[in-house]
Amino acid sequence: MTDLTPITALGAAGPRIARLGALTLSERPDVALASLALRRDAAEPSPMGLTLPGPGGLVQEGDYFAFWSAPGQWMIGAKDAAQTDFAATLSQEAPGCSVTEQTDGWVVIDISTTKGTLHPLLEKLVNIDVAHCHSNGAFRTGIEHLGVFVLCRNAADVTVLGMRSAAGSLWHALETAAARAAAGENR
Amino acid sequence: MTRLPGGLIDRDRTVTFRFDGRRYLGHPGDTLASALLANNVRLVGRSFKYHRPRGVFSAGSEEPNAMVELRSGARQEPNTRATTIELFEGLTAKSQNRWPALGFDVLGVNDLFSPFFAAGFYYKTFMWPKAFWEKLYEPAIRKAAGLGSLSMEPDPDAYDKGFLHCDLLVIGGGAAGLAAALTAARTGARVILADEDFRLGGRLLAETHTLDDAPATRWLSEVEGELESLPNLRILRRTTVFGAFDHGIYGAVERVADHLPQPDTVRQTLWRITAKRAILATGATERHIPFANNDRPGIMLGGALRAYANRWAVSPAHRVAIFTSTDDGYRTARDLAAKGVQIAGVIDPRPEPRSTGDFPIFPGAVVTNTIGRLGLRHVEIRQGDQTHWLECGALGVSGGWNPNVHLMSHHRGRPVWSDAHLAFLPGAGGPAGLIPAGAANGKGTVHGALQSGAAAAEQAMADLGRDAGLPDLPQADDSPATQTALWHVPGTARAWVDFQNDVTVKDIKLAHQENMTPVEHLKRWTTLGMATDQGKTANVTALAVMSELTGKPIPETGTTIFRPPYTPVSLSVLGGGNTGPEFRPRRLTPTHTWAEARGAVFVEVGQWMRAQYFPQPGETHWRETVDREVLATRAGVGLCDVTTLGKIDVQGADAAEFINRIYCNGFKTLKTGMVRYGLMLREDGMAFDDGTCARMADDQFVVTTTTAQAGAVYRHMEFARQCLWPELDVQLISTTDAWAQLSIAGPKARMLLERVIDAHDTSNEAFPFMSCAPVTVCGGLRARLFRISFSGELAYELAVPARYGAALMARLVDLGKDLGATPYGTEALGVLRIEKGHAAGNELNGQTTAQMLGMGRMVSAKKDSIGAVMSRRAGLVADTRVLVGLQAVDPETPVVAGAHLFETDAAQTTQSDLGWITSACHSPHLGCAIGLGYLTGGADRMGTEIIAANPLEGQSTRVRVVSPHFIDPEGGRLRD
Repeated sequence: MTDLTPITALGAAGPRIARLGALTLSERPDVALASLALRRDAAEPSPMGLTLPGPGGLVQEGDYFAFWSAPGQWMIGAKDAAQTDFAATLSQEAPGCSVTEQTDGWVVIDISTTKGTLHPLLEKLVNIDVAHCHSNGAFRTGIEHLGVFVLCRNAADVTVLGMRSAAGSLWHALETAAARAAAGENR
Repeated sequence: MTRLPGGLIDRDRTVTFRFDGRRYLGHPGDTLASALLANNVRLVGRSFKYHRPRGVFSAGSEEPNAMVELRSGARQEPNTRATTIELFEGLTAKSQNRWPALGFDVLGVNDLFSPFFAAGFYYKTFMWPKAFWEKLYEPAIRKAAGLGSLSMEPDPDAYDKGFLHCDLLVIGGGAAGLAAALTAARTGARVILADEDFRLGGRLLAETHTLDDAPATRWLSEVEGELESLPNLRILRRTTVFGAFDHGIYGAVERVADHLPQPDTVRQTLWRITAKRAILATGATERHIPFANNDRPGIMLGGALRAYANRWAVSPAHRVAIFTSTDDGYRTARDLAAKGVQIAGVIDPRPEPRSTGDFPIFPGAVVTNTIGRLGLRHVEIRQGDQTHWLECGALGVSGGWNPNVHLMSHHRGRPVWSDAHLAFLPGAGGPAGLIPAGAANGKGTVHGALQSGAAAAEQAMADLGRDAGLPDLPQADDSPATQTALWHVPGTARAWVDFQNDVTVKDIKLAHQENMTPVEHLKRWTTLGMATDQGKTANVTALAVMSELTGKPIPETGTTIFRPPYTPVSLSVLGGGNTGPEFRPRRLTPTHTWAEARGAVFVEVGQWMRAQYFPQPGETHWRETVDREVLATRAGVGLCDVTTLGKIDVQGADAAEFINRIYCNGFKTLKTGMVRYGLMLREDGMAFDDGTCARMADDQFVVTTTTAQAGAVYRHMEFARQCLWPELDVQLISTTDAWAQLSIAGPKARMLLERVIDAHDTSNEAFPFMSCAPVTVCGGLRARLFRISFSGELAYELAVPARYGAALMARLVDLGKDLGATPYGTEALGVLRIEKGHAAGNELNGQTTAQMLGMGRMVSAKKDSIGAVMSRRAGLVADTRVLVGLQAVDPETPVVAGAHLFETDAAQTTQSDLGWITSACHSPHLGCAIGLGYLTGGADRMGTEIIAANPLEGQSTRVRVVSPHFIDPEGGRLRD
């Protein structure tokens, strides 16, 4: 066990959380990520019991999730596993596949609402048809000139993955939009 | 206030506002224009060029005259149309383009000099002396001619943007738009209805039409109620769809808070609407008839007079005349008369009156002149051979209606002339999926608008596989307004065509006389249609006048076409509102917080913020700091965050073959656990990027790129993988952000490394130069170790998961105190690599070859790789420019990057140019300025002296040509 102290993508010891009206933004440094790519003639694996989804798809099973990122390629995630060598774990679950550690390549931010759906917020953030953002959808898109993955877990819970180095800019974009949406709730 | 009965204003409440400092009262539901008219204010502004007194001309967004500066302080907004400003409590507005006052404008003298300001006067005048243009003529003209002024303060408001998707976008909420929205929404389709007004209804709000024998407002209320109740329909009020773009995308601006004293959150939202189909139900704009002095306050569009009376219960005068070439003018007279306004007369050029009423009618007559300095007092009528003056305070002019075809033109779709309508109608070639309806398509009656709106929606739904069916629509007026073509009243005095840019019939005649007859030339010669209103009330009339002059029919004279935006859009809302540090995304390195805490000075490197240097107490100049960092690294050990270099993970059975094809030098023999320098070429044989490639396993490589080209190299490799060699079993993914990578460089680097690494033999024998290995550090943390050097010293790059980067850096600094461990930034990094002669972005600028870099022999002839064949082109091979080192002969003289190289006795011209300096710095190691540069015949000039010329600064520095390797040319240090 290393004695080095990690920091989150937003540069603090602990995750950042913002509550804005019914909306909550939560940084998720505990989520481990690894990419999985099929090699030629490889059989599609079912790592951690996940049935890998097709284009635009997201599957969630317990602490694990997977979303399609490119033909023959997925991102696999695990909650509370960021301190582990998740890529090594995944490699064992997907023999013969190319696996690459991605945990610290990304900042993972959960957005949730206790009131209605996140659609009013999302339509201010991403150029996706929010009507299709209900459950188990994964979109590769952009927010404020930043490439992101938007994972629609359900209409009220979304996870955004952006590049770790731009975590501050991404958080600013999300928080600004959320604050405006929250102000709109009160009108 | 002078109000008529009726109207759609809330008379129970009053709103206070100020115009030019005077306090007035209005009602909710008013626009600034209607409220000013209700307060008997007819004079609202001054014209652009001649400073002629102007008043409200229209009742909508086509307004050319009533432009004001809205609000004050930082929120002051110039050129705002009073006809579209929704009145709010505390509103302040000022007239513009006048001095000292609206009623007495000194620059009104321009009007007296109008003969000198004819069409094209900019191009004909102020030609001499040439030097006067920039300093005198242009500033003077800009001051004299113009519109409103800017506050010059930062915009304090927030702006938003958003994205909407729908099956059908209905543009315009009048009769056609409402019928379309209703028809489509009832099928369950997702519909967006956007209207620029704050109230739905369009012209129905301005008319006295009945629908099913009831006032139109009752039907509007019912429809609005139903539309509001439909979850699949979204109404965007105060929203202007300003442009049709590619792939069914429409740009729209929602004025979220422009009707409030101050925004609660955002002021405006820019919507990008992706619509499978769209309906253009934007109605039509009435046109006027130019006659002498037709621009006085009080002279308005007839339809606008009617709108002010019916919707806003106001008339600009108690006694009003109508000049009309269509039946529409009679409707205006009847409506105003019904509200108690005295009608001085209806002047109709047609020989027979088209209607009767309790007012005088002058058939076969035209208006030939007007008087009234600051507001209309009389109009001159010519009827047959007789002329006489008619007293009136306002004149409504009706010359027919031009369909608002603008968005249909946004993809170069040309409108088509219709003799039946005496107007341009939407033609073919408009945006795919955009269907015109209602008055925008020449269906100007209420019945026609309702029916065509519904039919357009039915067609759109059928295209999308939905069966709509026409709804029950109310019975409505279907009597067409007959009209005759009267494009202007000939005369000798000036008759305005384009009010906003002060273009008259005379100007068009002059343009014709000077052979500026094509529409495009006419526009630029006269500036017609080039004002903020894009000539909405002028273009077609101007075309008709030119047609008359050329003797060609209108369609042969030309067509008018429109570009976005339909109405002006603020740059703030287009820009999205992010300013200052959030203007664009910033990328921070894993050690950013640590570096910030140590007082690092940062520099932008693309989107990255990198530590440039780390000043220490007592250091007064950045050079002092950088020299210290460089010397400390060469003497002990330096630490630098090099995470920004791109990292690409390459895996697969054919990974080695892929790498071998990507790089120009050989890679097949690279053993696992070893690293090799690699050079990538573009297809054209020029150098693309360089870096290292580490073989972590038989089927796994880690490619590093320069910071600047990280994205481009990854894209290039993906292109090669997917398109050039799809048969190869290769998988790529970026890991740039995943790993914090720290450079540990200097003779004591190994000693420091051994203090953090867990059980790994780092001896020169076990881990020689260009080795790599997965290791663990600081008690089991997974890491990657590369023995590579950018500084020329014994050096390592140690990568750990990014979250540990700051902690590892702090640990290394702490554990290396006795070794002199010194963090260094990009400045020292640059000095170290220039001293070593390593190429970087400055040398790899897309115009250089491997041969120029001194790496020509690296391009392997034993294999094929991207760019290899093209690099052997005769033209490239014959190039004798090569990277050399340059050392100032006088140690005190600076060497400047970008300086060009010449023989010492040669004239400094393009022809005698020998090359240029790519990178330069002060070398604390050598104690003088040094540089790298490309020099023609460089290999044969070693030891000679040449001139580095910097004409911008007037510098001419004598430099000696030396090896680019200023330190340790044998490379012993990095191999020890």
